[in-house]
Amino acid sequence: MSFALAPEIEDLAAAAGRLAARSLAPGARRAEAEGRWPPEVVEVIHSLALGALDLPAVLGGVAAGALAKVEVLEALAAGDAGGLPALDQPGPAVGAVLACPDTAAAGEVAAACLAGVASCALVVADPGFSSRIEWAPGWPVLRWAWVIAGDDLALVEVAPAGPAPALAFHASGSTAASLGGAPVLGRWRLPDGAGVSVRGRARLWAAAVSLGVGRAALEATIAYTTERVVFAKPVAHHQGNAFDLAVAATGLHGAGLLLRDAAARVDGGDRDGGFWATQAWLETIDAVSRVTDLGIQLLGGHGFLVDHLAEKRFREARMLGLLWGGRDAADADVAAGSMSVEGPLFAETAQP
Amino acid sequence: MIGLDRRSRDILDEVRDLGRRYMRPIGLESDRSGLPPPAEHPFYLICARRGGLVSREVGEDEDRTDTGDSDDDPARLAWKPLRALLIGEESAYWDRGVALSLPGPGLGGAALRTTGTAEQRDRFLSVFTDHSRAHWGAMAMTEPGAGSDVARIQTRAWRDGDEWVLEGSKMFCSNGARADWVVVWATVDPALGRDGHRAFVVERGTPGFEVLRIEHKMGSRGYETASFALDGVRVPEANLLGGEELYRSREGFKGAMTTFNLTRPIHAAHGVGMGRAAHDFAIQFVRDDYPPQGRRKERALERLAAVRRGLHTARLICMHAVWLASQGRPNALEASYAKLYTPPMVLMAVSTALDILGEAGVRNDRMVEKLYRDVKILDIGEGTQQVQRIVVARRLFGLPRDA
Repeated sequence: MSFALAPEIEDLAAAAGRLAARSLAPGARRAEAEGRWPPEVVEVIHSLALGALDLPAVLGGVAAGALAKVEVLEALAAGDAGGLPALDQPGPAVGAVLACPDTAAAGEVAAACLAGVASCALVVADPGFSSRIEWAPGWPVLRWAWVIAGDDLALVEVAPAGPAPALAFHASGSTAASLGGAPVLGRWRLPDGAGVSVRGRARLWAAAVSLGVGRAALEATIAYTTERVVFAKPVAHHQGNAFDLAVAATGLHGAGLLLRDAAARVDGGDRDGGFWATQAWLETIDAVSRVTDLGIQLLGGHGFLVDHLAEKRFREARMLGLLWGGRDAADADVAAGSMSVEGPLFAETAQP
Repeated sequence: MIGLDRRSRDILDEVRDLGRRYMRPIGLESDRSGLPPPAEHPFYLICARRGGLVSREVGEDEDRTDTGDSDDDPARLAWKPLRALLIGEESAYWDRGVALSLPGPGLGGAALRTTGTAEQRDRFLSVFTDHSRAHWGAMAMTEPGAGSDVARIQTRAWRDGDEWVLEGSKMFCSNGARADWVVVWATVDPALGRDGHRAFVVERGTPGFEVLRIEHKMGSRGYETASFALDGVRVPEANLLGGEELYRSREGFKGAMTTFNLTRPIHAAHGVGMGRAAHDFAIQFVRDDYPPQGRRKERALERLAAVRRGLHTARLICMHAVWLASQGRPNALEASYAKLYTPPMVLMAVSTALDILGEAGVRNDRMVEKLYRDVKILDIGEGTQQVQRIVVARRLFGLPRDA
């Protein structure tokens, strides 16, 4: 058993971290105002083969795996998460691309996404809910939607319906789209339990981005609160605040380990990888919401101002908890697995 | 990332078998009687004849000499603390109290291994190679007036010729009344704080070493928690743990405290085992007693999924902290993360299981009620969560000692 990352993943994440610190973080506000990352940044990120990391070679990917993808996303998001939904394609929808039985259709979508000429969205649908895309990145142009309902997958051709101003991720632009009457390019009944794998990959993506946002928030909060003095000592040195920060850091540490574990399970072909990815998302969303909330709270009035990135991270953390059916869909998926999923934690024990 | 080697799986099978056949029934009996199993209990002899469980797997016998594990494969060595953690977790699944009562050198052994001289390790750990009967070691740090803040210990030590004299009292000493020896912490001068601390091995039967009482507790009754007095106890110079040299440098003594960076996550991992037990009881209850469909069952399963998430996260944090130690890397922060995250999480897990059992949960013959009483001590022993918050804050952003 090892918690060490493979050297090639360490190198990749380190490169992403350098890019985030040098290019993403300093330009985060400008990118947010302009609705996209600058072309030179986009070019460098393309050189990291971001979208291709977790796709197999047959779909034009580099097959580095989910763990590599998670590490790179986290490192980039610590600089600025704003443009990631747009730039990482098929990104959250990778599970649908991989699960699609029509390899030609999946290949077409993947090729266009990797070339940066079109994007696809993932829609987690429930019977009875109106089917529309409330928000998707505004660039590259949205062309397809993967719709997953239970274990049923559909590929739909969509037309963007115009900007959909959103809570966060402004550097990705925005669009909405209606699925009503949109041409259905294919429908497939996936094997039992495959739906949660599709949803799990999107949650893995969101958890990784969220964790990067959370780590940046914690670091910035500590930097600020160890410098600013109130009631004769640094904000962080008042025991109530120190305890809050310690608990928040602990939660973030645990979420990070759970996320890595889930990604490694996905790479290892664990049939319950989607279940664990969903668990990692739930843990991460909670931990990062706590950290980003504290990030504003401990900055006081400053935290509410756009002069600091605390408010941006607060919005991003919240939005990552709302996509793809949000918490209710995730809770339903893990509840469904509660009695059936086995794992190293529980499979080997049973009551007498 | 988590994969167990074959040997670890075999060990877990063995612990599971012992747990099912002995540890849980004995733990229930202790809970009802309010008394820990006597030292002569046949189960302890079974454990002793197997060479101890933890002792055997972490190689306490091997560590008795300086050569120790030097010829061993590093990958194999790295498994030792991880196995101690796994055994701890699995034992606690069946009964944490009985797990803590298992024969072996316990925390005192950890102090000996990290701090003791080769002669001391040989002298005091060799008793555990005698498999004809059960042996225990123990450690005594806490005092009636000094719990979390160990710098305040008042038990005095002073040199008298070639002996040391100890005077004071100790409490919350696990297995202290049945131990062959106890590592006792004392101070040469309370005004010096930690710089005045010394540790001594006090052997059973030493005049002046008197067990005052075995405490009666809310839960975790399967092991004895002893209070004792040290009334002019005399120990030879050779029993000063680590020898004089250790205490000349502050760094040397601080090194001794790294013991707790290894034991803290193992202690926390006990909680994972207890939380798993509560989870499994609750799942079984849902299977057997809940309506097969409906919102009530869905809600219960959602809550149990959250329990499972928390337990798995806790387990990863504990294992990570121990893994760092096994790699020879600093782990003080991560050990505190483990101890800070796990006990409250496990209390939530057991409490959730009680909720799911509802009124059935209050009954004494359904294990979850016992687990609820057993689990609370985890958040106190080896550093409360409040202490862990302070440690994390110091490590992360330099919280001053007087904050």
